[in-house]
Amino acid sequence: MKIDRDLVAKVARLAALELSPGEETELSGQLTRIVEHFEALRAVPENLLAGAPDAPAAPLRADAAEGGSPGRLVESNAPEFAHGHFVVPRVVSRD
Amino acid sequence: MSRSADALLDGPVSDLAAAVRSRTVRAADVVEASLARVHLASDRLGAFLHVAGAEARRAAEEVDRRAAAGDALPLAGVPLAVKDNINVAGLPSTAGSRLLEGFVAPDDATCVARLVRAGAVVVAKTNCDEFGMGSSNENSGFRPVRNPWDLTRVPGGSSGGSAAAVAAGAVPLALGTDTGGSVRQPAALCGLAGWKPTYGRVSRYGLIAFASSFDQAGALARTVADAALAFALMSGVDARDSTTLATPVPDVLGGLGGTIAGTRIGLLAEAETAEGGLHPDVAASFEATAAALRSAGATVRRVSVPRVSMAVPVYYLTATAEASSNLARFDGVRYGARKGGATLSELYRTTRSTGFGPEVKRRILLGTFALSSGYHDAYYGRAQKVRALLARDFAAAFGEVDAILCPTSPEPAFRLGAKTGDPLSMYLADVFTVPPSLAGLPAVSVPSGFSADGLPIGMQFVGPADSEPLLFRLARAVEAAAGVTGRRPPGPVT
Repeated sequence: MKIDRDLVAKVARLAALELSPGEETELSGQLTRIVEHFEALRAVPENLLAGAPDAPAAPLRADAAEGGSPGRLVESNAPEFAHGHFVVPRVVSRD
Repeated sequence: MSRSADALLDGPVSDLAAAVRSRTVRAADVVEASLARVHLASDRLGAFLHVAGAEARRAAEEVDRRAAAGDALPLAGVPLAVKDNINVAGLPSTAGSRLLEGFVAPDDATCVARLVRAGAVVVAKTNCDEFGMGSSNENSGFRPVRNPWDLTRVPGGSSGGSAAAVAAGAVPLALGTDTGGSVRQPAALCGLAGWKPTYGRVSRYGLIAFASSFDQAGALARTVADAALAFALMSGVDARDSTTLATPVPDVLGGLGGTIAGTRIGLLAEAETAEGGLHPDVAASFEATAAALRSAGATVRRVSVPRVSMAVPVYYLTATAEASSNLARFDGVRYGARKGGATLSELYRTTRSTGFGPEVKRRILLGTFALSSGYHDAYYGRAQKVRALLARDFAAAFGEVDAILCPTSPEPAFRLGAKTGDPLSMYLADVFTVPPSLAGLPAVSVPSGFSADGLPIGMQFVGPADSEPLLFRLARAVEAAAGVTGRRPPGPVT
């Protein structure tokens, strides 16, 4: 299928990426070529797919808290850290 | 620095460690020799993103103290390079991305901690494709890496810096990560042994995630014995990674030099019909390796794993879908260098759009598309089902043979820039490395010969889960038959 510029722009919005018009055009061509190639998967008969087992579930560990603070290095990696908290931009906004 | 310390860098890891343990040579001198080689190789190859000189010298002194105290240190004083998407406490971790510039790891990845506990000394963080996304190391956010065997060619990827560092002799051992072949393919292109474990055998704690149902840590070394030693030391259950296997680690060292007589080897039938074909020199090495295995007493026959022909589409739909989710955390709030924006959503977009490189954006978009409403069932959902069928194909094949042999890469190292304009052609180069990744199977790449123009060629053994002892034994047999371990790339380091 063709991944046109509108679809590229829609997917970019979903992925929180901003693309220039030039990037949209280039990616439209590249993704179309890639996805059309990948449509080879359609050749697998439906009856085989119906019998395909689900991936095994990941093992679970006990839901237990572990002690320890993240440490000073974690604080120093944060753009802003104040009064024992990570400072982030305002989450509730009008846009 | 003593001459013997420098010379030990070119021999087996076990000899180097024994010399440090017996105090014939100081770890401090070995590390100094390694750092000198790292500096020589650095500009020429672009293999390093951070050289940890001061930290390595301090760590080496500590190893010397431990050796003097009689600690059992199987890697005493062994200089180690670590791919930059694996955390080392106190050192930068960028995963090859501008977006993570300035991030300093708070603690060691478990695989690093285990090797350091065994006496290894981290001397440098190595360059890689951004977030592990690439097969040529041209997708690094900083600079490409060059292949020590031919500086006009790629070292492979995404662990290209680790591969170039070992091939050039700067370090005898390096860590990499392997999502769809990122340890094995650069190992093959740089003339090294490299492995990915059975899914869950080595902890991923401290690795920067790309695609979590695939990502594994692995190692690259000049010889199979050194690579196997790293496996033995890195493997085992870890409370900090719930996907690690709690079953006993199989012993890869005990039978390493043992006979392979009677082993049933399957030559991957799909290798002959791979899209784009096999480079003639790779095809010749494939045949020569099969002949060598027969001469060593193995039973060799063709075996088919039919869905291997669909492995590249399956991998690039499922791994990119996982990446689109995993990389959502790099938004300037949770992780990543924050970049402006009047609103929160603008901050997210600006941070991500300026921080990620073109290949990462392409894969995030492909994965987001594969998961999006209206396309999920036809792409991601179908790919997951074919993935399960491929695993079933492997299981059937392992009813007939003990291990499968195929080339690691369909061609030797290609020229820088040869595939950058065509992402699909780059993806297709992964045709032999992604199938075991999709099925969670172990695989080992081993040098098998050289092309007519002097470039390394590697072969890959794939086996059922927990078959690492057999895979390393087979790789050791090929290494002995090929007789290429002593051949070194040109250049000032070695």
